[in-house]
Amino acid sequence: MFFDLNIQGSGLENNIKMARQASSYGWDHINFSYNQNDFKQALTLKDELHENLDDIIDFDFTLEIESKNINEIRKTANNFRSRASCISVVGGDLKVNRAVVENSKIDVLSRPYLNRYDAGLNHVLSKEAVNNNVAIELCFKDLLKTYLAPRAKVISNFRDIYALHAKFNFPLILSSRAESVFDIKTPQDFVSVFSQTGLAHEDIEKSFKTAFDILRFNEDRDKMILKGVRRVDDEA
Amino acid sequence: MRLKVLPPTLRKNSRYLTVDIKITSPISKDDLVTIIWDACIRFKGECETSNFYLWVMKFYDLEKTDDYYHYKAIVRCQRGFVEEVRSSLALVNRHEGRKISMTVVGLSGTIKSSQKYI
Repeated sequence: MFFDLNIQGSGLENNIKMARQASSYGWDHINFSYNQNDFKQALTLKDELHENLDDIIDFDFTLEIESKNINEIRKTANNFRSRASCISVVGGDLKVNRAVVENSKIDVLSRPYLNRYDAGLNHVLSKEAVNNNVAIELCFKDLLKTYLAPRAKVISNFRDIYALHAKFNFPLILSSRAESVFDIKTPQDFVSVFSQTGLAHEDIEKSFKTAFDILRFNEDRDKMILKGVRRVDDEA
Repeated sequence: MRLKVLPPTLRKNSRYLTVDIKITSPISKDDLVTIIWDACIRFKGECETSNFYLWVMKFYDLEKTDDYYHYKAIVRCQRGFVEEVRSSLALVNRHEGRKISMTVVGLSGTIKSSQKYI
């Protein structure tokens, strides 16, 4: 099963084009991501998208919070928790990275290395990510849109994150962050690129499973009373 | 005088990749050859690319949509280096200022069987 939790959502027509392209290349599920300002508007497209894409591909919406204010991130996550199948926060700022991996209401820390000279993660943040079940997201687009020295630096940051992942085993997800049909590749190409940068095939497979697990976990999140305790409806 | 053809045991084994190409302006087969070689040399370097045994076998001009020109091609590479070639092609983003996207949609051992992906 090939899951992509971060395809940049835009208008209805572009979303349909990208979804059709992703389906024809073999993706099973995609999430259109919108930032906190556009998310409510995006939810109104859901019915029309279902009409057009029902037999083609599974889709859902990701809330992508982009802010450097930790309180704003916390409030936005709490506000949209019940409406978004996945909440991710764009990283890069050390305070934001730290606050996100400590918040179990957030699913994904996206691109902790963004605009940095290092990976943006260390052993302390890695342990927090494991404890709070926050996934770290690496984006294919960061490799695609850079070249020469910047691309080498992105690959170097990826490798640092792979090393921490191998030691601490925090959830890792891979996504395309595609903006148009030009950025969508076949899942096999996607796997090849990450395997060439040094990620093991088992870890890549596990990353798709992690994406699936995030969506499944969030379906039942409102029934969670405590971590590990869930209200069930069936009377057995 | 031409060289005598190598016996099968001494020949390199090939794999044929069916490549899906989208670009915002028209290209020829020669342009594609340049794009593929540049992509491989840029991502994997000169020394590694020398193992790839690259050759564009066939080039198909399929359609023109509102957003892009759509082509497909069958590209030969050496067995054992498929992942390297795939990743290099997937990372092509621009060619002479034009947006381009390349992705491998099929992998076969013969040209004939790779044509089913066209």
